Amino acid sequence: MRPKHTNKYIFMIMGLLILFALFLQYSVNESTKELKAQEIKKAERYAQRIGKYIQAKTVEEGKLDLEKYPVIRDELNEVLRAFLAKEYQYIFLLRKDDKGHYRFLLDGSVEDPVEFNTIFFPKSKLFDTVYATQKPQIIEQMEGIEHVWLSLLYPIVDQNKTQALLVMDLSKAYGEFLSDFNSPIMYIVTMIQFFLLGSFFFLVYFAYQYHKLRKSILHDPLTSTYTKVYLQEFFDVQKVNRYNAMMIDIDEFKLINEKYGYESGDTILKLFSKEMWALLPKEARIIRLGGSEFFIIVEKKSSNLEELAKKLFTSLTEKRYLVDNETISLTLSMSAIVIPKETVSIYNIQRYLDEKLLEIKSRGKNGLGIIGNVSGDEIKYKNLDYVKEALEEERLTCLYQPIFNTKTQEIVKYEALVRLIDKEDPQKLIPPVYFLDMIRGTTQYIKMSKLVLKEVFHALHKYPELEISVNLDLDDLYNADMMKLITKQLYRHRGLANRLTFEILESHEIKDYDEVALIFQQLKTFGSKIAIDDFGSGYASYVYLIKLDIDILKIDGSLIQELLHAPERTKIMLNSIKELAEIYQYKVIAEFVSSKEIYDIISELGIPYAQGYYFGEPKPLDIYLEEHS
Amino acid sequence: MYHQIFSALVSKPMINVYTNDKEYRDVFAYSKRMVLSEESEKSDIILITNRSTLFKMMRKKQWNVEKDEKPILFVTDYRLLKNSFDIVGAFYWKKGRSQLLFIKNRLDEYNITLPREYKDFIIDEL
Repeated sequence: MRPKHTNKYIFMIMGLLILFALFLQYSVNESTKELKAQEIKKAERYAQRIGKYIQAKTVEEGKLDLEKYPVIRDELNEVLRAFLAKEYQYIFLLRKDDKGHYRFLLDGSVEDPVEFNTIFFPKSKLFDTVYATQKPQIIEQMEGIEHVWLSLLYPIVDQNKTQALLVMDLSKAYGEFLSDFNSPIMYIVTMIQFFLLGSFFFLVYFAYQYHKLRKSILHDPLTSTYTKVYLQEFFDVQKVNRYNAMMIDIDEFKLINEKYGYESGDTILKLFSKEMWALLPKEARIIRLGGSEFFIIVEKKSSNLEELAKKLFTSLTEKRYLVDNETISLTLSMSAIVIPKETVSIYNIQRYLDEKLLEIKSRGKNGLGIIGNVSGDEIKYKNLDYVKEALEEERLTCLYQPIFNTKTQEIVKYEALVRLIDKEDPQKLIPPVYFLDMIRGTTQYIKMSKLVLKEVFHALHKYPELEISVNLDLDDLYNADMMKLITKQLYRHRGLANRLTFEILESHEIKDYDEVALIFQQLKTFGSKIAIDDFGSGYASYVYLIKLDIDILKIDGSLIQELLHAPERTKIMLNSIKELAEIYQYKVIAEFVSSKEIYDIISELGIPYAQGYYFGEPKPLDIYLEEHS
Repeated sequence: MYHQIFSALVSKPMINVYTNDKEYRDVFAYSKRMVLSEESEKSDIILITNRSTLFKMMRKKQWNVEKDEKPILFVTDYRLLKNSFDIVGAFYWKKGRSQLLFIKNRLDEYNITLPREYKDFIIDEL
């Protein structure tokens, strides 16, 4: 999960928690209201019972008459008193006299009961309303009334006439008790709300700080471009292959800084990036890689890369800058690439563009190089880190191409050819063209050679009749570490070494033949053979035959291919090599035998061994052994 | 509150009130429009809060003289109203509610006419 999304989720969860806390508050309030409502209902039930009882006891001929019967009054006062629990402050019965004043008929109070017929001013018009409408009603606490939370007014009606009004005053203390009943929960809820609210504010504050910090990390303050961190984050969510990329480096910017001062240099960089922003489509991103080096990504659909790169290059080099009353212009080294659709990592692209940039710089700078049709595999595999990881994980194997005896028509040997195994797809093998030049001369190359020798010796051990040849560059043998590795391996597998051939390829002319002769001697100590690869082309010259102790000549493929274009002249050449080899008692192998036509000529010439796609392409050893078993 | 009631009974900017009840005296002491009187005879209104004071006042004054003479008697208990026909009204608490009442014929005997807003508190008989 990306931090940006994490933030969203945290805010969402926090919002939900706050809503939950508000819901809790609402629930607690509702619960308190429900408690009070239940208490009011209970009071209504009591009032109804009391009312009926009083009615039954006192109403005669449609008139409630308590004046005459003090004993009944006392009895009924006792009844009211019985109901006067802690919930009720006062319970009393009123009637209206002829003048419309209320007078006490009954009073359930224990302390200081009101005398019969005492006048009473109720402080509320609702008393009259209930008296008139004959419908019970609740009066909320009013100003000027003490110790009372609610008053329940219950009319005692007989023959459609209100006889009296039963008043049940619910105690204020009890109302407060009910209000406070849920207060511990309410206290906790309030605390939670405060906590959440506080946390929310902290979160907002930290989010603000975080975004401020992010902005400073993602933006280059000098040039108003993005930083490398932004590039990484950008392609965490965006597909690389939707974009094209460019890399620009201002040539010799260090000299501008030195000549005009760093302040002027900064001003130029500012103007330079401003110009880039103006020339590029709105959706483009400019990333300052450091110093005066910029990386640009542009959406494929927004523009044609070649046109855009040329326009950018021309405009940026034509722009003039006024520094210290002097007008200067800049030269640029620039590379651009149409990113292949299989590309997944922007860093491979960056590295690729960087290599191109170096190439431009090495050719004298001030140039634009556009990389058009490059395969995704090339981008992916021409990556030192990728190769390093593959070797670290021993994702390496060898394919084998047979070497054929043209007389016996049998396979006499196999040439081991190294392949790396793709990380995602183990069925996919990576040919050395992608990685060999890149790692040559590095420790990775030695690591690779070690793994190749390991596999080859394993095959030699497994198949006692088998002969295998492996490729070596002469430069490898000048490397002490490499030589140490080979001789160590030969010694360890000395019983197998006589079935191993080293095919030596030189990339430049041998200057010290004595040293090479000594190296060959070391390789042959345990019976291994030496083959000169690509004989007849490049540096593989006839001098070798005089000065070096070799066993096999492998005729260069380009000579063999000439049989198709200039057969007669080529035959003369091949025949002379064959005869020479016979004299020196070397075995001769014709490479690149790719068709029956070539094979027939080779056979006719009497070249004893041949290798090429006509006999088989490089395959796993087991497949060939199974086919020929 | 008492100032309002007494102003309705006595049309004077500064009303002389006598009471021997310490609590009431403490309260009235802070009033700007009532003066506590040390002698009941010189007061405009005597506020009586208990039965013994009432009887004392009744003995002290010749209550059978002209009724419209000062002082006017006012009580803080409904039951005290029944002890003397000279008391014009009362202010007290009953069932948590403040009760103010004036007795019409007694007001008449003092020639007191209350303002309109007190109409609802005037009763004919106890």
